[in-house]
Amino acid sequence: MTRTILHIDMNAFFASVEQQANPALRGKPIAVIGSATRTVILTASYEARAFGVRTGMMVHEAKQACPELVLAPADNRKYTHTSRLIMAMLREFTPLVEPFSIDEAFLDVTGSIGLFGSPSRIAYLIKAQIRHRFGLTCSIGIAPNKLLAKLASEMQKPDGLTVIRPEEVSRILDAVPIRDLCGIGKKTERQLALYGIRTCGDLGRFPVGVLTRRFGVVGERLHRMGVGIDDSPVIPEEEAAEVKSVGHSMTLERDVEKREDILRYLLQLSEMVGRRARKYVVQGKTVTLTVRYADFTTISRQAAHTGYTNLSDEIYGAAVEILDGITLLQPVRLLGVRITNLRHYGEQLPLFVEDRKKALATAAMDSVNNRYGNFTVTYGSLLKEDAGAGVISPAWRPEGVRCVEVK
Amino acid sequence: MEFKIDKDTFLKALQKVQGIVEKKNTMPILSNVLIEAFQERIFITATDLEVGMKSSYPTRVIKEGKITVSAKKIYEIIKELSDEEIVFSTRENDWVDIRCGKAYFNIVGLSPEEFPYFPKVNDDSFIRLNNAILRDMIEKTSYAICHDETKYNLNGIFMKAVEENGNKRLRMVATDGHRLCVAEKELSDKTTKELDKGVILPKKGIFELKKMSEEEEGEILLGFMDNSAVIKKDNTVIVMRLVDGEFPDYTKVIPVNNDRIVKINREQFLRSLKRMAILSSEKFKGIKFDLNGGTMEISSSNPELGEAREELEVEYAGEPLTSRFNARYLIDVLSVLDDTDIELRLKDEMSPAIMKPAAVEGFLSVVMPMRL
Repeated sequence: MTRTILHIDMNAFFASVEQQANPALRGKPIAVIGSATRTVILTASYEARAFGVRTGMMVHEAKQACPELVLAPADNRKYTHTSRLIMAMLREFTPLVEPFSIDEAFLDVTGSIGLFGSPSRIAYLIKAQIRHRFGLTCSIGIAPNKLLAKLASEMQKPDGLTVIRPEEVSRILDAVPIRDLCGIGKKTERQLALYGIRTCGDLGRFPVGVLTRRFGVVGERLHRMGVGIDDSPVIPEEEAAEVKSVGHSMTLERDVEKREDILRYLLQLSEMVGRRARKYVVQGKTVTLTVRYADFTTISRQAAHTGYTNLSDEIYGAAVEILDGITLLQPVRLLGVRITNLRHYGEQLPLFVEDRKKALATAAMDSVNNRYGNFTVTYGSLLKEDAGAGVISPAWRPEGVRCVEVK
Repeated sequence: MEFKIDKDTFLKALQKVQGIVEKKNTMPILSNVLIEAFQERIFITATDLEVGMKSSYPTRVIKEGKITVSAKKIYEIIKELSDEEIVFSTRENDWVDIRCGKAYFNIVGLSPEEFPYFPKVNDDSFIRLNNAILRDMIEKTSYAICHDETKYNLNGIFMKAVEENGNKRLRMVATDGHRLCVAEKELSDKTTKELDKGVILPKKGIFELKKMSEEEEGEILLGFMDNSAVIKKDNTVIVMRLVDGEFPDYTKVIPVNNDRIVKINREQFLRSLKRMAILSSEKFKGIKFDLNGGTMEISSSNPELGEAREELEVEYAGEPLTSRFNARYLIDVLSVLDDTDIELRLKDEMSPAIMKPAAVEGFLSVVMPMRL
């Protein structure tokens, strides 16, 4: 059966939310930057993009391109809040809504067409609601599958609506550069270029045998991408696969070298990881520490804790042990702590009084922090830190264990 | 060295040490078994430096000597040989020849000089225990041993001699931090100062001891030397290093004022729990218990599968009470008991519960509930 899939992509999401929140910014070139002092441009408004300001640019580069550029520090809570409302609104059109990132979602509306008329009408209704309720615009792609719907939404920005009908697939794909397909990165693009493959048409016509010999099972998938076939279902959040890890990382305000500084950040990260693991009732067996140096070289080391844990101090202890096993070669730019090998622990109470006190004290601390905000009750050494997740990770989801609270 | 031996004896001897040899292969010599032949006996020794076993068997020694070979390979070879007499001999450079019927093996060994020292055991200061009693006590406690290696002091069974009203008893305790089991039996023999103080026997040693106690009836001798426990039965000696750590004060964990007493038929309770547990999973382990007068409703609910519930008739006179437990912990206990009725002693939904046979003393288990 032919499916009808919509891909909704919010236009310049962070910047547009800021412009809605502050009317003085509307119509002006603005750029949202991270809250840390040195970060790069996260999103630029369309007015700024006209000057050549792009995501990922350093602030001084952007200022050079657009001297009138207004910088707005990121207010992540505003963005996650708006995202949650939009995702809930999308569920009024179909239960099959798969949030793809904070500002993107796939909808399978195959079963809803009877209710609303046509796929285009659903798209117009969504666009009207988003504009009316949030003052934001989005680009929507309509196609028989997720791969093509995403490609379609990219074709017209901002405020676009592009339909790829099943009978047009091969004609449209023929000239599309392969890098425009979601799932083909720079590396794959380079590898395929060696075979003279530049467009989806080239990819679809290329012998599958050669692709599978070179890429293994992925070769088969590449071929299917080239001809525009994608059977992956739209998976609503509650059915999403079990999460395999709980982790946090942060780019530090400035590069640090002193052990005591690094330890303080590790404690903060461990508490964030522990709290989120406890909230979603999982424990991890393996602790991973990630260190990125000033020159961006990154190392990750892991250690299997013999027991399962989600207690912040135990995660911290394991992270410090890993740190002590590495010789730091440069100042540290980013730190990350992650637990993997997860299992659910079902709230079994410990038998021994000391363990029980610790579990109950942790639960009490968590409930205070749930009510009054993260780090309201915390470790003494963290009191001066302005703690919390500063950046919204691509894995962020409005619900479940991936719902990271941001500051 | 050269000796002749029948297949059954040799195979049994080698099988016995398979559980001892080191599997991680950190020191090659530890995956080997030491075979010594003198005074018309062979002596088979294996150790992982924590638990060692040595046993001896009668044989026809032609030339005395010793050698070590891979415990796993020699076992596989002997197992597949025909039922004829086996001739085992060594050559220079630690090579071993095995002949049986028309089959011939020449395998490489390691020098016996590299094999760790196995302590010489002197026969005095042993206490005598009946193997059936030991088997019963280990069976009733060993499932609760903690497998989390960071809690090393819980990775074994705590064994202690206690004296109450002039009665000497041997006590075994195991816990994993969520549940705890205590088994006790009369001690007819004298005790030792180590047992009076209490020792922790390591998990691996306990499983070897359990195997030994499951063999034919007989006395098991228990003694201590150099921070190790020495256990002897017939022609076999096990030496295990005691766990170096303090066993937690388990007496504090055993509640004394649990006054809500429920009497339940063990068999019915166990079968009901097994049925209800079908719906529990890694994620949803808890089983709910609703006590109300003479009935106890057991139910489980798993959002991914569905729910189940069952009513049991019990003897209970207290106030209604709801609590939640990991079914596994209760099933483990009920499975090792053979009494007709058991007793649950409860306090409230957040406090540890006691489960024990209703009619006799000598065993009890403490189980911590789950949050409701």
